Amino acid sequence: MRWVGLTPTQIVEYVAFLAAAGASLVTALGVLFAPRVLHAAIWLLFCLLSIAGLYALLGAHVVFAIQILVYAGAIAVMIIFAVLLLERGTGRGILGGSQHLLAGVVGAGALAAVLVPAVAYACWKQWAAAASMPTPPSGNAAAIGRLFLTRHLLAFELISVVLLVAMIGAMVLARPDRRRGELPEDVQEAQAEDTTSEWRAPLNVGAEEDAE
Amino acid sequence: MTIPPVGLPHYLVLAAVLFALGLFAVITRRHVIGVLLGIELMLNAANINLVAFSRYGSLGPVANLSGGAALDGQVFALMVIALAACEAAVGLAIVLRLYQTLATTNPDEVGAMKW
Repeated sequence: MRWVGLTPTQIVEYVAFLAAAGASLVTALGVLFAPRVLHAAIWLLFCLLSIAGLYALLGAHVVFAIQILVYAGAIAVMIIFAVLLLERGTGRGILGGSQHLLAGVVGAGALAAVLVPAVAYACWKQWAAAASMPTPPSGNAAAIGRLFLTRHLLAFELISVVLLVAMIGAMVLARPDRRRGELPEDVQEAQAEDTTSEWRAPLNVGAEEDAE
Repeated sequence: MTIPPVGLPHYLVLAAVLFALGLFAVITRRHVIGVLLGIELMLNAANINLVAFSRYGSLGPVANLSGGAALDGQVFALMVIALAACEAAVGLAIVLRLYQTLATTNPDEVGAMKW
């Protein structure tokens, strides 16, 4: 049985794609225009989840799982934590809002005006050819793991180094500024009472280097 | 009337639109974290492209059956996700630091390195 040239399976795929794509676009608009940054971060969380749905439609089950675990589970939650930390630091709700709206419309509009027609033109022939594509084999986690440990072994090892450097760098950067006394009060008192001052000297040196 | 089934162009056009939306957020957001959210959107758009190419690309499912050659796109997507985690961690640390030193979170008010 065919309807507008599609088999029932393809119709279901089409509807699922439209749902996931529409959800990702709507939530992306939420990221763009939410009045508060916290709300924008929560919109981003749902945008990441709908993009995970797209991965599931593409048969990329590993990427689907990692997207939910790492992106939605870790990165989005970390951003929300950072927003809450900043709100506590400023003592008020963080202003969202937009600026340079004209520049944004022109820049992003120009990019979309170039990208979308170019992409559509470049793979125009695939619109018809896609019908003959067989479905990919499911459960490709073993194959991906094998790729990571054979062909992409160097990149796999390098990314662990990058993760370590990023972790150390984030800890160094987010260290409270000790010169301005922005530490919690109990730590400040402990520092004031500390007469040996051996452990303060290197910290101050580091803070001065940061300032330069 | 014949509608083509979901294929590579659908995903590529969607990714292009998402990328443009991310750029819009980067340009217009008045808070540094909003800019970071826009960058995350752009990274995700690139990831959709990578995974879509691994499904529909010229190396397609045929190569998939013969040793998993076409899974490279998914491997790249996983690496991009790992790098995005690094970027978010360092970026948020810089944002916290920015507020501590300059007491502002508007990217326009940070002009010390402007040419």
